[in-house]
Amino acid sequence: MQRILIVEDSPTMRSLLVSALEALDRPVKITEVASGFEALRELPRTAYDLILTDINMPDINGLELVSFVKSNAAFRSIPLVIVSTEGSERDRDKGLCLGADAYLVKPFAPETLRQIAQDLLDRSRRHG
Amino acid sequence: MSASLAETGAAAPRWQDLARRAAERRSAEVESVVVRQLLTFVLDASPYAVPVERVREIVRVRPITPVPRVPNDVCGVISLRGEILEVIDLRLRLRLRAAQSGRASRIIVAHSADGGVAGLLVDGVSEVLAVPENALRPAAATEAGNIETLCVRGDRFISLIDLDRVLGFDAQR
Amino acid sequence: MAQRSRKGRSGSKTDQEFVSEAEEILDRMRQDLADLNEERVAGEDVDPDVVNRLFRSAHSLKGLAGLFGFDPIQDLAHRVEDILDGLRLGRVRLALPVVALIDESVHLFASLLEQIGNEDALAAAAEPIGRLAQRIQAAREAPAAKSEFGDLALEPSLLRALTEYEEHRLRENIRRGRHICLIDSTFEIISFEEGLSQLTAAIREVGEVLSTLPAPGEAPEAQIRFSLLVASDTPASEVASRLGLAAGAVRLVQAGAPSSAAAPASPVAARPSGVAEADEEPTGAHHDSGETGGPESLKSISDTVRVDIHKLDELMNLVGELVIQRGAIGELVTRLSADAATARIGSDFAKVHKALDRKLRELQSAVIDVRMVPLSQVFEKVSRVVRRLRVDLGKDVRLELRGADTELDKLIVEELVDPLMHVVRNALDHAIEPREERIAGGKDPEGRIRIEAFQRGNHVVIAVSDDGRGIDTAALRALAEAKGIVQPGDVLSEREALDLAFEPGISTRSEVTETSGRGVGMDVVHTNLTALGGVVEVESTPGRGTTISMTLPITLAIIQSLIVVVAGQRFAIPLNAVHETLLIDGSEIQRSEGRELLNLRGEALPLRRLAAEFDLPAAPPDAKPFVVVIGLGEARMGLLVDRLEGQQDTVIKPIQGPIPTVRGIAGATELGDQEPVLVLDVSALLADLGRRREVL
Repeated sequence: MQRILIVEDSPTMRSLLVSALEALDRPVKITEVASGFEALRELPRTAYDLILTDINMPDINGLELVSFVKSNAAFRSIPLVIVSTEGSERDRDKGLCLGADAYLVKPFAPETLRQIAQDLLDRSRRHG
Repeated sequence: MSASLAETGAAAPRWQDLARRAAERRSAEVESVVVRQLLTFVLDASPYAVPVERVREIVRVRPITPVPRVPNDVCGVISLRGEILEVIDLRLRLRLRAAQSGRASRIIVAHSADGGVAGLLVDGVSEVLAVPENALRPAAATEAGNIETLCVRGDRFISLIDLDRVLGFDAQR
Repeated sequence: MAQRSRKGRSGSKTDQEFVSEAEEILDRMRQDLADLNEERVAGEDVDPDVVNRLFRSAHSLKGLAGLFGFDPIQDLAHRVEDILDGLRLGRVRLALPVVALIDESVHLFASLLEQIGNEDALAAAAEPIGRLAQRIQAAREAPAAKSEFGDLALEPSLLRALTEYEEHRLRENIRRGRHICLIDSTFEIISFEEGLSQLTAAIREVGEVLSTLPAPGEAPEAQIRFSLLVASDTPASEVASRLGLAAGAVRLVQAGAPSSAAAPASPVAARPSGVAEADEEPTGAHHDSGETGGPESLKSISDTVRVDIHKLDELMNLVGELVIQRGAIGELVTRLSADAATARIGSDFAKVHKALDRKLRELQSAVIDVRMVPLSQVFEKVSRVVRRLRVDLGKDVRLELRGADTELDKLIVEELVDPLMHVVRNALDHAIEPREERIAGGKDPEGRIRIEAFQRGNHVVIAVSDDGRGIDTAALRALAEAKGIVQPGDVLSEREALDLAFEPGISTRSEVTETSGRGVGMDVVHTNLTALGGVVEVESTPGRGTTISMTLPITLAIIQSLIVVVAGQRFAIPLNAVHETLLIDGSEIQRSEGRELLNLRGEALPLRRLAAEFDLPAAPPDAKPFVVVIGLGEARMGLLVDRLEGQQDTVIKPIQGPIPTVRGIAGATELGDQEPVLVLDVSALLADLGRRREVL
């Protein structure tokens, strides 16, 4: 079963993401963490097939997380989706620039997230 | 008309409708008389009343949770749409004979002049009457102090309760 | 997850997928590139959308190639992405050579795609790709419109990871002439949070942490490296020694220019959020206050909304109702599932209920969260009063405030202001000695009052301590005897003696100055706090000082309760006050001085039978009672009940009606079947404990 890591400090948003992902076309195991730090600790523990992260988070921001993931040989190949707030186009673009595979701007249709997740999980599965 | 008034706040407009219509009929007969609208109910087979504008709603008797160390005319508390309200056994409060609640028993949720709310447990609720001011007479001195006036209607005497005294604990003790 | 070694699989299905998708991307790129060139030729400004699209295409291509393991394509795509990024950010000027390079890249991609499956051809392409990449690199580095932070000696990767807000902070600090430096530190993955927060706290004493960038440590499985971008008035060289770090750990990025700093009129966000002196406005440590100048300041105009507390109450009530109904639905689900005929629908229902439950809990937290306000507001009020009072009283006192960030339900905070003010005023007025007396006693002439707030589990503790006279318990006791509150023969523990300070008869003005280091209105404080479900405790050392601790529940709204049964009637006990529950045998109860006690792990736990407390029929003598150990702050007692019924979410509602409620009942709650359950007032029960002498 494929595993998804959600990094998001707002419990409401987390729940939204989880519900969207529960309707994927395949069973997945979803792990939620509420901060960048927790993500840093969680990543080495399990092999993830997809990471979803917010940008604005308390300790390290999403961009820093992306940068970390992409500069780390162990995690660099995990597809990474940024789910950003209405805050900043620049931030989103930076995320892309740092290596994220997709970005979604809140509010987004759960269907969109599902599609993107499914696509990325497919690739992940084929080449993981 | 008997005791089948509705049980939610939505009932309020209904009695007031009734009362208004009754009042309109009356005022067609009698000119520029102050009319009071009273909700009448039954205690120990006798008729009593309270001003309609003080009644928030009427509900069927529901489970009442006893509260420790309160006067024995306080039955306890009920839960009504999220609020916890005290329920006073009006029979006991007026020093009438105690009795079991029957099928027709109801709880009248009323408020005092200062906004305090409580429930009054009664044997049955009757109707809303429109009564001209001049039909009201002060109660005889021997009545328990909770009765404000008597209202004469045809051949009936209906005791109009002084809600503020009934709901005001201090006045009692 | 490896992504290589695809040798010997030419023309496979997956390759075809890659090819078709890549071709789509290239098509888009060709179109956009054409548009871009037209703009260039026409001398028009670069349309950011077009450049962005190109950028994203290159980015997608790069990702795609990476996933499929086509490294050469990925590398080239990366270069193209870089230069497009430069275009986007204005670092690279749109000129023919740039467009040409991108165009050439697209061509090269197309031809590479045709070679997919042909390993040799792909390998051979490495050289031309490399050359093209170099040219792109050169073009990129051509001086052009410089990026704002281009001058800084910072890796682009770090700059890229700055959010807009962080960039703003960086800009601001540069403007104020601060030194910008980079501090690197490596931690173990298992424990980095602690180490990092210690480091960050230390840095905050000398400056502002602008950004925290994690990177893999030298041993990536076990270590993690953090690069902290810091702005400080202290030169970088000193920062290292101040923090106790090796000199090499702190690298100067840009030296500040203090003389040209902008007017530091308003308090800067860099102020450490720990201790604030009462001589300055204590900051709530949240936002930049009053930054002047430019477009930046407009941005955060309405980050907050003023809400009428009554609306919040309504909201809270509604949520409370939902919570109750959720419980009721839960029961229904159980019933449905238990019956074979409805089991199927029961299980579907259960799923929905579970989802609803989750959302509801979040709504609950969110609403509770909205009601939470930091104590900083209260602290500010207190500071102002202290500043005025110390002048009026002619006393030299320093006020220390900690934990202004600690949050409490807004209603509680509002109720807290008066008692807190009372306590502080007393400390100022009575506890802190006049200057001469302090000097004579060998104390610092400046008195100190400290207010410290912190969260402890489900409670918040606010402790007011002073280094004044302390409470003279002997004198207190003498006064209590004189008033008849205490009999001459009574034995009082230290704690009980101190608690005398809360007796209404004691704390009147005339008695105060002589006998106690605390004075007026302590009984009022006690009453106020009890009404909030809190507890007040006093600790004092004569001559050294006194500490008054107020413990409050974080929120009054929705809490978990333990349901117990006494004489057939249910009661609810807020779980935050329950320490444990025990089933005991009647024989374990000991009697002493008219009280019942239980030996709980060596300590004497005072007991109280709820049936007796509420005039309910007692349980048969041979019944085994349950003991619910409750406590707030330091006080503890055990409540004897007949049965335990489990835990519930409860919303405590006040009992409305003319009858003043019994002491010991805090309110009532519904448990879903419409019959209200009385909620015990733990603090009242605990408070009464000390005052009651029972004869059984």
